[in-house]
Amino acid sequence: MRKGRIELGDVTPHNIKQLKLLNQVVFPVSYNDKFYKDVLEAGELAKLAYYNDMVVGGVCCRVDVLDGQRRLYIMTLGCLAPYRRLGIGTKMLEHVLNFVEREGNFNSIFLHVQVNNDGALDFYKKFGFEVVETKQHYYKRIEPADAHVLQKTLVKS
Amino acid sequence: MDEKKCYEQKQYKNGLKFAKQILANFSDHGETLAMKGLILNCLGRKEDAYSFVRQGLRNNLKSHVCWHVFGLLQRSDKKYDEAIKCYRNALKWDKDNLQILRDLSLLQIQMRDLDGYKASEETRYKLFELRPTQRASWIGYAMSFHLLQDYDTALKILEEFRKTIQKTTYDYEYSELLLYQNLVIRESKNLHEALKHLNTYEANICDKVTLQELRGELYMKLGRKGDASEVYRGLIKRNPENRNYYLKLEEALGLATVEERLKLYEELKEKFPRAQVPKRLPLNYARGEELESLLDPYLRAALQKGVPPLFTDIQSLYSDPDKIQIVEKLMNSYLTNLEETGHLCETDNEFKEPASILYVLMFLAQHHSYLGDIEKALALMDRALEHTPTLIELYIVKGKILKHAGDYVGSYEALQEAQALDTADRYVNSKAASYLLKANLVRQAEEMCSKFTREGVTAMENLNEMQCMWFQTECAQAYYRLGQYGDSLRKCHEVDRHFTEIIEDQFDFHTYCMRKMTLRSYVELLRLEDVLRSNRFYWDAAQIAITIYLRLHDQPLSANTGENNINTGEC
Repeated sequence: MRKGRIELGDVTPHNIKQLKLLNQVVFPVSYNDKFYKDVLEAGELAKLAYYNDMVVGGVCCRVDVLDGQRRLYIMTLGCLAPYRRLGIGTKMLEHVLNFVEREGNFNSIFLHVQVNNDGALDFYKKFGFEVVETKQHYYKRIEPADAHVLQKTLVKS
Repeated sequence: MDEKKCYEQKQYKNGLKFAKQILANFSDHGETLAMKGLILNCLGRKEDAYSFVRQGLRNNLKSHVCWHVFGLLQRSDKKYDEAIKCYRNALKWDKDNLQILRDLSLLQIQMRDLDGYKASEETRYKLFELRPTQRASWIGYAMSFHLLQDYDTALKILEEFRKTIQKTTYDYEYSELLLYQNLVIRESKNLHEALKHLNTYEANICDKVTLQELRGELYMKLGRKGDASEVYRGLIKRNPENRNYYLKLEEALGLATVEERLKLYEELKEKFPRAQVPKRLPLNYARGEELESLLDPYLRAALQKGVPPLFTDIQSLYSDPDKIQIVEKLMNSYLTNLEETGHLCETDNEFKEPASILYVLMFLAQHHSYLGDIEKALALMDRALEHTPTLIELYIVKGKILKHAGDYVGSYEALQEAQALDTADRYVNSKAASYLLKANLVRQAEEMCSKFTREGVTAMENLNEMQCMWFQTECAQAYYRLGQYGDSLRKCHEVDRHFTEIIEDQFDFHTYCMRKMTLRSYVELLRLEDVLRSNRFYWDAAQIAITIYLRLHDQPLSANTGENNINTGEC
């Protein structure tokens, strides 16, 4: 028997509690109400991942403009522990990569990863992300507090 | 005459104008007065309507129009018995009036005045000779005999009528007529004739499934088991998920022992490898090791695929304590294997399905809840929730377990969590409301429902309008437990009114079904309506109402039970 179906779905006011619950379980950091309010406006930049119709993952991004450069920032991308290594993270990240490609006006994609999170580092490197900077004391309440900045520069067509 | 035309075309204002003109010259013209009353009734002026119609009738007691109008007025007020009397009087003065006969027959079937129905149709039968094209009158006439169990006459009329029908290549209405005819033949207990009838008209019957089902049933009753088994094999091939066909096949083959049955299902499993039923049914028969060998692949397939209601499916085996043991043993072994290897069993090399353990935990929780070990059940649920906290079914199952344990607060809290996770799911919403009612929190339950009811009216009103009877009976029970007898009785009476309405709604079908020829369903409807109040919701509501009335009779409310007085005020 094969593995289950993986699908992405919209975040709506009806199911946003599932995203909150998921993030609470997956990430050591907690996000405030403003975060979820923005997510509801984010359209394709926020998605839930379903495995056989169960919510098991979620991705939330926002557009970041710095010195006239449009960059996509991945705020969260996570999957419940039992459902990892099934291609769910890949599905979500591919969705984001396809999105920036379609839009065509992004210079880069970036995100923060806790320095000891080897799994995440390997995952993003597979997709052409590189560590471009390491921020000391990036996290306030968790150890280690340092974070790598992972970035993928996009070739402008 | 003009006035009547205006009424039929709903030009009420013009109708009244004509009436005024006529009455200016003939102020006591009975039929005009009556028509004026009828028009006023349509304009909502009920009291005036009655006084004009009565006045009209007094002035012309020999007019079929006046009596007919009085009948129509009574009918619009749902006073059907009175209306029937009026129509009868109208017919005295105009015995061949088709319109009045038709109206009367509708009331008679509604009131199940079957003898009267037939009698009035007798009058109409005479009219057939003049107007044989009216097929509704043929069928209505035949049906009156059928309902009175005079099958021979019913069949004679149906057969005569059938002969008049022009057959086209595909005619669903003709097919329905044939199936109705067959129903009457079967009810007349002439099974040979019924089978012959099916065979004769096979090509004209469009509903092939029903045709075969009837054939199977008739073969069985006629003792032609071999022919019956062939029919049921054919039906299974057509729909391998219909349980009933398999059970009928067993019966037709005369299988007595467990071995014979299991052998049959081995054969059918091979023939229909994707069908669930031939895999599930043998579990009911097998025992001991044999059961274990069948149950093991069945459970594993479900756990691999992820079938949330697996416990509900298996629960019927729990009437046998030995079977409970076997299920528990298998499930525990899956849990151990999954914990150790990620596979359901040591020997399989299936994909390591991450949700399998979740479904095993959920199943075992329900299993232990069934056996009364709530603590163990809840511990297993906690493990499941830790594994996949986003699975809404888990909260529902947890709520159910707590409910069985009598913890109504815990159970509605679990459902509230489930509801918050997906506020677009009406099932979860209703379940949450239901559990709130179990905890006597009527206001919160109403609030919960209001997320799905129409805006602009209160949830209570809308739920009543929608005849949402599970809510109303459970609400009545909650009020009863709270000692708010008045509120409780109000809910009970709302439920009662729904049943009255359903019986009244029948009215439209008398004409509709005859026209559309859906006669089998129509007879089924009539028979359902005859026993309508045996419905569970009615029983529940009636039981509460009776309990409260008896209580109020034994202990009438006195002045010092002030609050209850207010609550019962409306009833």
